[in-house]
Amino acid sequence: MCCIYDAWASKAGHENVRLMIDGEFEYELFTEYIMSETVHEKFYKVIRAIQQKISMEAYTVVYRAAMSFEKERLDIIYRFLIDGFKYGGRALYDYRLESVRQINRIAKKAGNESHLFLGFIRFEEMKNRVLFAQIEPKCNVLTLVAPHFEERMPDENWIIYDKKRRLAAIHPAGRQYYISMLTDAEVEQIRDMYENDTYEFLWRVFFNTIGIDERKNPACQRNMLPMWYRDCMTEFAEDKKSCVV
Amino acid sequence: MSEYTLEDKLRILSDAAKYDAACTSSGVDRKGASGSLGSCQASGICHTFASDGRCISLLKILLSNECVFDCRYCANRRSNDIERASFTPDEVCTLTMEFYRRNYIEGLFLSSGVRQSPDKTTELMYEAIYKLRVVHKFRGYIHVKAIPGASQELVERMGFLADRMSINLELPTADSLKTLAPHKSRDSITKPMRLIQSGIAMNRLALNKNPAMDRAYGNDMFKNSIFKDSGMRFIDTDKKLPSARYEREDFVPAGQSTQMIIGATQETDYQIMKVSQALYTGFDLKRVFYSAYVPVNDDSVLPVIGTPPPLLREHRLYQADWLLRYYGFTTDELLSEDRPNFNILLDPKCDWALRHLEYFPVEINRADYETLLKVPGIGVKSARRIIKARRCGMLNFDDIKHMGVVLKRAVYFITCLGKTMIPLRIEENYITNCLTSNDRRDIHKLSDYNSYRQMSLFDDYSFNAPYTAEDTCKALSGQL
Ligand code: SF4
Repeated sequence: MCCIYDAWASKAGHENVRLMIDGEFEYELFTEYIMSETVHEKFYKVIRAIQQKISMEAYTVVYRAAMSFEKERLDIIYRFLIDGFKYGGRALYDYRLESVRQINRIAKKAGNESHLFLGFIRFEEMKNRVLFAQIEPKCNVLTLVAPHFEERMPDENWIIYDKKRRLAAIHPAGRQYYISMLTDAEVEQIRDMYENDTYEFLWRVFFNTIGIDERKNPACQRNMLPMWYRDCMTEFAEDKKSCVV
Repeated sequence: MSEYTLEDKLRILSDAAKYDAACTSSGVDRKGASGSLGSCQASGICHTFASDGRCISLLKILLSNECVFDCRYCANRRSNDIERASFTPDEVCTLTMEFYRRNYIEGLFLSSGVRQSPDKTTELMYEAIYKLRVVHKFRGYIHVKAIPGASQELVERMGFLADRMSINLELPTADSLKTLAPHKSRDSITKPMRLIQSGIAMNRLALNKNPAMDRAYGNDMFKNSIFKDSGMRFIDTDKKLPSARYEREDFVPAGQSTQMIIGATQETDYQIMKVSQALYTGFDLKRVFYSAYVPVNDDSVLPVIGTPPPLLREHRLYQADWLLRYYGFTTDELLSEDRPNFNILLDPKCDWALRHLEYFPVEINRADYETLLKVPGIGVKSARRIIKARRCGMLNFDDIKHMGVVLKRAVYFITCLGKTMIPLRIEENYITNCLTSNDRRDIHKLSDYNSYRQMSLFDDYSFNAPYTAEDTCKALSGQL
């Protein structure tokens, strides 16, 4: 967001600017700059500008696009904002513009993936009834899924851990969730709390019974639930084993 | 009764419930609240997909598979010698709560065999969902079946706890029902259906809503739609003022649904779709599900065991059902006495379009929303995108391709700025050939049941989400 601001302010001319993300900080497109006060301000300026000069919906799309795994996402967002500030709210729907096609394409990816994770996330119950889930999402979905669980399970202690990015959404019962980096030691500590859980076993019993053999269709199953999601899903894990620990 | 473990019961009672097609968790938005567990999302959420590719959203179980009825198509019928088990209401609650916390499910789908009597069974089901809502403060999704023959009062009481209720029509005609389900009658099915319908209408009126269920994307506004003016129907028929309870509490807010078994009896697609349409208009059902019959009993009046379930037919019925609910079609536009069954080779929308070439080609830059929806390859989402994008300027083929229009189907039926994409003959045989050669490979797989396994109904060949019966984003993103 801040680099967008800087790019804009630099008046270098849009053709001459190309925004790239430093691989190391990929996941922090939004958060990395919040740390310093001055930049904080730029960050909100850009957000406000998008919301007011384009639309609230455009902001949602930009946010999702920023969470996608597309390498060029920052530049795609930048190109879209140039058109957005030029044409206003209707720009988002104007598929004649290349920038609009691109941003909708990548925002859709992040949107779809986070919607799927709402269903596919599996919590394991640790000692003290703490719920722990691990995911390895392609897009940076944590902040897209965490609000859903915060609302749904306000009185539970839960953690959703993005193994790829080493980020966790942590929700202490009765409070708001926050995003935090986890160290290896912390992850180990959590995993040590894993206990064998009969409901995991019962869930597998249910899952293995509910399919109709005469309609068996693994291709369709794979299509709807691609293999890479399954590593962290209880129903595809072996008995008496955590699917993540 | 022998002593079963919870595991045994879960195995027996989910196995007995698996033939019910409905597993949707859609139709109601409910925020979570502190002090309780759960929320609902109107779009519904799929939690996993079973080996048959169907979406699993709810814990789908029977309370009991004991049954005093003897429906000939059903594995639980009285005359079968099988393992019988029953959950206690507390067991149902515990399973639901613990599965829900771990994010396995959106909620509970509770059905049951008729244990002792319809009322006895319903009382137990009521106890289970009452405890779930009131004792465990569960705010997730609850779908509960009404048992034919249960007292009106019990059915009504359940409606104040459930998000969705359903009562299966089972067979499309009263005659088939009489032959195959001697203990049920059309009456014992339609009576509770009517009761739930009027409960929903009263509740909606009390909430200052249209008494008829909402229909997505303005389908009730189309000139031909089966839902046109559906709200008006209640005005003369329902003079009753809502009773106080209907003003305070939700009653089946996600609407009611039903299911028909396909292929156990001889009805045509036309008869089946007529019934569906009547259920949508006359009973204001939210959904009708179709379940390809899997023979489970050795019975002279039924297909023999091992007969493959008619999956392609079921798929066509779902497609047609979608056309009624979202695209403003009526059954009589799709089928007739003379053409009572769907085309194997073409989906119902293409098939319709080919018989009505006089409406085509449609100009993308001018046609209204309703007309766009009738074009093969244009779905609800892409039609809406077209309408919005048009306000900014003229669209060409490349533009609409990026909006999700499936050009390989649409191309025969549209123009952009007066031009077709490729030189075309608007002629039935020619287009039919083009369209079917697109799809022939897939269709072949579909009709050949052995290799059916290889085939996914969700391939682009036609719209998504047919029999997973999940109204998720998938359902609408498909371009029928
Ligand atoms: S009532 Fe009929 S369909 Fe239902 S469980 Fe009993 S035998 Fe089966």
